[in-house]
Amino acid sequence: MTNLKISALDYVEQIQNGNISAEDFVSETVDRIKKVDDTLHAFLSVNDDVIEQARAIDKKIKSGDKVGACYGMPISIKDNMCIKGSKTTCASKMLENFVAPYDATVITKLKQQDAVFIGKVNMDEFAMGLTTEFSAYGPSKNPWNTDCIPGGSSGGSAVSVSAFECVTSLGSDTGGSVRNPASFCGVVGYKPTYGLISRYGLISYANSIEQIGPLTRTVKDSAFMLNMICGLDSNDNTTVDNNSEDYLSGIDSGIEGKKIGIIKEMIADGTDPAVLSSTKDAISKLESLGAICEEISIDMVKYSVAAYYTITATEAGSNLARYDNLRYGYDFPVEGYEFNSYIAKARKNFGPEVTRRMIIGGFVPSAGHAGKYFLKAMKVKSKLTKEVNEAFKKFDLLIAPTVPILPFKLGEKIDDPVSLFLVDINTVTANLTGKPAISVPFAISNGLPIGMQLFANSMNDKLLLQAAHALENTVKLPEVPI
Amino acid sequence: MVTEEEIERVSKLMKIDVDDHKEYVDKVHAMIDYFDILDSAGVESEEISMPEIPISQLREDKHVPFDQKLIEKLNNYKGSYVRAPKMS
Amino acid sequence: MTKIGLEIHCQLTNLNSKLFCSCKANYREFEINENICPICMGLPGSLPRLNQEAVKKATMIAMALNCSTPEKIAFFRKNYFYPDLPKNFQITQLNIYGDTSIGGTGSIMVGDKKINITRIQLEEDPGRLIYEGSSSKNQITLVDYNRAGTPLVEIVTEPDFESPKQVREFLNILSDLLENLGVSDPSLEGAMRADANVSIEGGKKVEVKNIGSFHDLEKATHFEITRQTSLHSRDIDIIQETRHWDDKRKITISSRSKEEELDYRYFLEGDIPWITIDSSIQEKLRTEMPESISSKKERYISKYNIPPQVADVLSSDKFYSDLFDESHDETNAKEIANIITTDLMGLVDTREKREESKLSAKHLAELSNAIQSGKISRNSSKNALHEIIKSGKELSEIISELDLGNVSDESELLKIITEVISAEPQAVEQAKSNPQTINYLVGKVMQKTKGKADPKLTLDLLKKQIE
Repeated sequence: MTNLKISALDYVEQIQNGNISAEDFVSETVDRIKKVDDTLHAFLSVNDDVIEQARAIDKKIKSGDKVGACYGMPISIKDNMCIKGSKTTCASKMLENFVAPYDATVITKLKQQDAVFIGKVNMDEFAMGLTTEFSAYGPSKNPWNTDCIPGGSSGGSAVSVSAFECVTSLGSDTGGSVRNPASFCGVVGYKPTYGLISRYGLISYANSIEQIGPLTRTVKDSAFMLNMICGLDSNDNTTVDNNSEDYLSGIDSGIEGKKIGIIKEMIADGTDPAVLSSTKDAISKLESLGAICEEISIDMVKYSVAAYYTITATEAGSNLARYDNLRYGYDFPVEGYEFNSYIAKARKNFGPEVTRRMIIGGFVPSAGHAGKYFLKAMKVKSKLTKEVNEAFKKFDLLIAPTVPILPFKLGEKIDDPVSLFLVDINTVTANLTGKPAISVPFAISNGLPIGMQLFANSMNDKLLLQAAHALENTVKLPEVPI
Repeated sequence: MVTEEEIERVSKLMKIDVDDHKEYVDKVHAMIDYFDILDSAGVESEEISMPEIPISQLREDKHVPFDQKLIEKLNNYKGSYVRAPKMS
Repeated sequence: MTKIGLEIHCQLTNLNSKLFCSCKANYREFEINENICPICMGLPGSLPRLNQEAVKKATMIAMALNCSTPEKIAFFRKNYFYPDLPKNFQITQLNIYGDTSIGGTGSIMVGDKKINITRIQLEEDPGRLIYEGSSSKNQITLVDYNRAGTPLVEIVTEPDFESPKQVREFLNILSDLLENLGVSDPSLEGAMRADANVSIEGGKKVEVKNIGSFHDLEKATHFEITRQTSLHSRDIDIIQETRHWDDKRKITISSRSKEEELDYRYFLEGDIPWITIDSSIQEKLRTEMPESISSKKERYISKYNIPPQVADVLSSDKFYSDLFDESHDETNAKEIANIITTDLMGLVDTREKREESKLSAKHLAELSNAIQSGKISRNSSKNALHEIIKSGKELSEIISELDLGNVSDESELLKIITEVISAEPQAVEQAKSNPQTINYLVGKVMQKTKGKADPKLTLDLLKKQIE
C-alpha cells in the first residue's frame, strides 16, 4: 500500500527515488476517493483517464525523458477553473452542461509540469458562500466531523486535501474562500498577493479582489505550488511581475527579529474562546522563535464585511449577467418566448444564495443607491488599504485567527445570512487590500481544527511563507479521523 | 428600506424571475440593513483608486485566430448563428 | 433656435485585432460567427486583453480633435441585457472619477462655427442581430458575433449644430480627418454610425438612435427638425423621448416606452488596470501622427503656389494627397496637382476603382515630366493615365504601344503645317495682322495630328512659315 498521506514535496522525492510510481499513487488515490467520497462529497467529477496519464508519466521517468516538476501528482481543481474539454459547472445548474473550450493559465502551467488533474471539486455555487452548502449538487462534509460544514467556498478543495483524496488542490479566494475551508479542515490555505497568479480561466465572481490559491498539507507545499503557477500572464492584464522568485528557497529562514502586529479588531467580541486561546498560544510560540508581537488597531476592519459584500455583489451582478443561456448553458429552447421573459426564466436555474446576491448586486450600485452603498464601500476599501499599508510600515507581518469560530453543523446558519457575514470578518481584509494571507492549521478543539492566519505586505509572499512555515513547525496535530 | 416592490424592480433589472418575492424580502432586507454600518465609516473624502500599468505593457495589435471553430462548441443554429428569442 | 448634438461611433477599421482579443478588427470578410473566440464571446473565465494600438489610435483621434488627453485612462462596465452583447455588459469609458476617458473636452472649426467636443471614449462594438420569422409566433432572433469587440471610438459633441447642413459639413471634415489619420475607412459599411439629439426653440430634446451612416445622419436630423417644427406650428407639445431611425422608410419612429427604466450600474472594470499614458508617450504619439489636412493644404499653397481650391481638394483626400506627396518634387508639383485634380479624380471615383488602380507615384512623376518636356501632350496624357490605371505598364511602353508620343519631328510637322497654311489662306492673313489668332492655326495642326503635335514646336514653325 502506498502512503497517500505524504506532502507534495515528499511525493516528488519518493517518485524521484523510485520508491513509488505515479500510476500506483494515482490509482490508489482513485480507490480512496471511491471509498470516502460518498460520505464527504468533495468531488463533482473524477477524470476517468488519470491512471493512463500517470502511466505515461512513469514511462517518461523510466526512459529518462524530461519530466515536469509535479511528476504525475494528483491535484484536485475547484470547479470554477476551466480545463479544456472538461465540464466546468461552478456547482451551478446554470452551467451543468458547460464544457470549457480552453485551459485556464494555471491549468496550462500545471499540465506543463506533468500534474494529473484527478477531478473537479465542490464549491458554493459560483463561489458565493462559506460552507459549501450552496452547491447545487449538495454539500461537502468536514472529514473531522461529518456533521459539520467544511467551510467554503473552496470546500471540496479543502476536504479532498484533508481526506487524502489528492495531494494538493487549487481553490479560489474572494473573501476567504481558500483560507476559511483550510482552517475548518485542518490544511494550509494560501491567498497570494493580488495579481501574482493569473485569473485567466477562473470563472469570475468578484474579479477585482479574488485570487486562485493552493490548499496543501504543508506550507512548503504551498510555496511549491506557487512556484508552479505564478507569474506575469499576457492573458490577464492584472498580473504582476515577480521576477521568477523561488518561494521555496530560504523558506526555513525563521522569523527571528520580525515584528508581528496582532489585529485587535479580529479578536473582538464573538470570537470563540478556543480560537482566542489558540491565538494567544500562537503569539507566544512566535515570540519564543524570536518574533516581536504587539497589538495594532485597524479601524476599517469593522466596516470591511459590509464593504466586501457590497462590492462583491455588485461585481457578481455584472459577472454573472452573461449567463443568459443563449450561447451555452442548459437545454431550454428559445421558441415562443420574448427575450426578457426568456432569460429571466432561464436564470431561475441560479440557486437561492446566488439569486439573493444578484438582487443585492442590482440594488447597491443602482442609480438611486450607489452613493449610499457602492461608492461608500469602494471608499472603505481605499481607506482600509491605507490603514493596512500604514500597519506594514511598523510591522513585517500581521496575525489573526483565520475564522473567529469553529466549524458548525450543516444547516445551522444557512437561513441566517447576516450571522454568516461575521464568519468572514478576519479574511476579507486581505482581499479588499490585495495583500497575501495564509491559514496554517494550528490547534484542534473538540475534535475540530483551528487555523491561524498571517498577513504580509503586497509582494512579500516569500516572507509570509517563511513565517507560516515557522509557525507550522511549532505544532504537531493529530491525524484526520476519516 | 427595501420593499417588496423594490425587490421586484431589482429582480427585473437583473433579469431573474423570483416566484416568491416575500421569501427574498426578509433576507435581502437584513443583508442590506447591515450595510448601513457603512454610513458611520467616515470615508466621504476618500478617493477611489485602482492598480495602474503603463500602456507599453498592453498587448501588440496582432490578429491571431482562435485555434478551434468555437461556434460548433456553443449552442448554434445550423452551425452558424446563435439563436435568441424574439425581441419585444 | 435649433440645437443638434451628436454621438458618433467610429470603428477603428484599420487595426489588425479587436479591442480585447486577437480576433480580426475588420470582421466583414468572415462567414457567420467565424471571427470569435472565448474572450469576445464572453465565455466563463475569459478576461479582456486590451489592444495597445487601439489606445494609441484613439488618443490620436482625441489629439486631432484638439481634445485634452489624460495621462491615466480607466474603463467601466455599462450593464444591460441584450442578445448582441455576449457578456451582457459593455466595456466603455466614463469620467466619474476624474477625467479618465481617452479624450476630454476639445473643439473643431466647421467653417466659422466652433463645434465643441464633450468627450471621446474607447469601447467595444456589440454583435449583430438578424430578425427571422414572419409572424410574431415563430419569430426568433439570430445573432452573429463577428463584430462583437471591434474597437469603437465614440465622439460626443455639445449641442452646437444649428442645421443639418452644419452636421454634414462636420461629418465631411470628420471622415476626412479619420481617414487621414489612417485609423479608419469611413466608406466601409457600418464603420460610422451615430445617435443625434435634436431640439427646436420651445421644444424638448429628442434623441434619435440607430443612424447607420453619415449620409442618413443628415437626413435624420432634417426629418426630425421638420417633424418637430410641424408639431410646434400646430401647438402640439414636443415630448422628450427616444426615437429610432428607420433607414428603409427614412423616418424616425418613437421607441415604445420601456417597461423598466434603464439603469446601467456603471462601475470600474477590475480586469483592466488604469492605463498610464505619460507625457513623453503622448509627445511621441503627436510626432507619429500623420500631417493634418489643414497643414497639408497650407504647405501646398505656400510651397508650390497651388491654387487654394485645388490644394483644398487635394489635401482632404488621403488617397490623393499621399499620391501627390510621394510623386512630386519642386519642379513638377503644380503639374501633378493638376493631373490629379482634373484627370485622375474622374477616373478613380469609387472605392473599387481605387483598389483596382495600378497607378503608382512613380507613374505620376514620369507623366508630369513627359508633359513638361513636351514628350506627350496634355491631351494624350489623359489617355496614357487611363492606360496606366488599367495595366500599370511603364509610361514609355504605353506611349509607344498606343502611339501617344508627340509629333516632334520637324520635317513631318512642317509637311502638315504647309498643308494647313494652303487650306486656310484667310486665317493666315488674319494671323499676320493679329498674332493672337495664330492659335486657330495651331488648333488645326493639332486636329490633323490627333493632338499629338508638340505645341511649342508647332507654334515656332507656324510663326516662321507665315512670316
